Amino acid sequence: MNGVVRSQTGEAGAPTTVGVPGFPGPFAVGRYAARLREHMRGIARVCLIGEVTGVKIGAGPNVYFELRDADGAIPCAMWRTDFDRLGLRADELRDGSEVVVAGGCDFYPGSASASPRFAFRVQDLRLAGEGDLLARLARLRRQLASEGLFEPQKRLARPRLPRRIGVVTAEGSAARRDLLAGLERRGWRGTIVWGYAPVQDRRAAPAIAAAIRDLAALARVDVIVVTRGGGSIADLWAFCDETLCRTVALTPVPVVSAVGHDVDRTLIDDVAGVCCSTPTHAAETAVPVDCLAAVAALADAARRVDVCGRAAVLSRARELAGRSRAPREHLARHRAHLHQLARELRAATSRGRADRLDFQRRIAFTVMGRKVGAARRQTDEQRTALGGRAAGLERAVQADAGRRAKSIAAHAAALRAHDPERTLERGYALALGEDGQPLTNAAAVRGAHDFNLRMTGGTVGAQVTDLEKEETK
Amino acid sequence: MTTETTTYESAVERIEEIIARLDSNQAGLRETLELCREGRGLIEFAAGELDAVGHGLEELRLDELIQRLETDAPAVQT
Repeated sequence: MNGVVRSQTGEAGAPTTVGVPGFPGPFAVGRYAARLREHMRGIARVCLIGEVTGVKIGAGPNVYFELRDADGAIPCAMWRTDFDRLGLRADELRDGSEVVVAGGCDFYPGSASASPRFAFRVQDLRLAGEGDLLARLARLRRQLASEGLFEPQKRLARPRLPRRIGVVTAEGSAARRDLLAGLERRGWRGTIVWGYAPVQDRRAAPAIAAAIRDLAALARVDVIVVTRGGGSIADLWAFCDETLCRTVALTPVPVVSAVGHDVDRTLIDDVAGVCCSTPTHAAETAVPVDCLAAVAALADAARRVDVCGRAAVLSRARELAGRSRAPREHLARHRAHLHQLARELRAATSRGRADRLDFQRRIAFTVMGRKVGAARRQTDEQRTALGGRAAGLERAVQADAGRRAKSIAAHAAALRAHDPERTLERGYALALGEDGQPLTNAAAVRGAHDFNLRMTGGTVGAQVTDLEKEETK
Repeated sequence: MTTETTTYESAVERIEEIIARLDSNQAGLRETLELCREGRGLIEFAAGELDAVGHGLEELRLDELIQRLETDAPAVQT
């Protein structure tokens, strides 16, 4: 437009307005504004897609709103007649609605009393369809993926048993209840830091991002769960916000996303460490350990460790005891073997002795038999010799006896010749004392006084009677 | 094993290794006794970790937490 608008200064001596060196003009602002409107309207007509905010549907001829996304915003104006022709309900064009608008730039130059206004003149409008949002989502997804923002969260280690969990969700939402119920079922009773935030309007994405940043920086949480219930892609669009997704990707704390249902796939699901289908699933992911089962498993582990330790000691003790018995048993075996050998030896000895005795007996029997035979023969010989000798001796005895008889007869005859009896037979008497001894003289007879007279044919008593006569003599 | 760097995950993983080793019956007596001692220590540690998240649910609000931190910050500086 430079040089198009000329100064309207008079040439008949009227004072000329002086511009600024290097800049054309000065030009009258009204005319400049009019030319600006023409220029704006000359820009190509296009379609825009974005989130509606600040909707003003009043009694005036225009409907105003802003169309916004993460990178910027444009004020929009739509003739009321065009808007009414769309047939939209009042609640369909509300803050947070994703819409596609068709039109072009426009500029109201204002007036002496009216302020100028730039707006994108919307000639047609429709709510953004899923295809529109998905296409936009795909572009964002490709962009974030190309920057490697899907990976940082995936590389973070998630604790299996977090003590402190940060949760970003809407206060009083069903997602909150489901998450709590899921944690309760796992027996987890740690600390939850609730980062409440709107989850479905244009304030949602910045608030969610701020909550995530604060939870990571200030609340010392081990894991962050971002969750909300299901809805259309438009309802979940806040979770496709580029700034929010960049925040999540660069958060140093693991983020678990559970936005919408299983079929919904928002951009935060791509950048989060783990994407879950439901709040309940998020609870199980945030606390992978089933605390109740883990307590039982630990008790079982403790029991197994004790059993193994005890069994190890006992088995070794048994083995040692067995080994300590081995020498004793070895000795016992040897002792038994020796006893057996001794018994066998004794048996063998007995048999040998018996054999030897039998042998000796037989030898002795033979020897004795021979000796007996010899003795018998010797006896017979001696008997024979003795018989001869006996006969000779008998003969000698008989001869000696004859001689002795003759001698005895001679002696007897001689003796009889001297026998007192023969004297007695001749009339003599023998005086005998009471003791039978012969009284050989008269004095002995007198001394005895009483005596016996032995004569042939017997003995008669006698008594000295002439004792005094004798004595007188 | 139960050092400051021990986590519940590492403790449980090590306990599983210890039990597998004990079940194999290949460990000698000394190793068995040391594994048992280490296992008992790790089980005690893991039980403590479970106990820490088993007593009672505590719920905090992030906005109140931040407000408290902001309130306490000047006091700390003084």
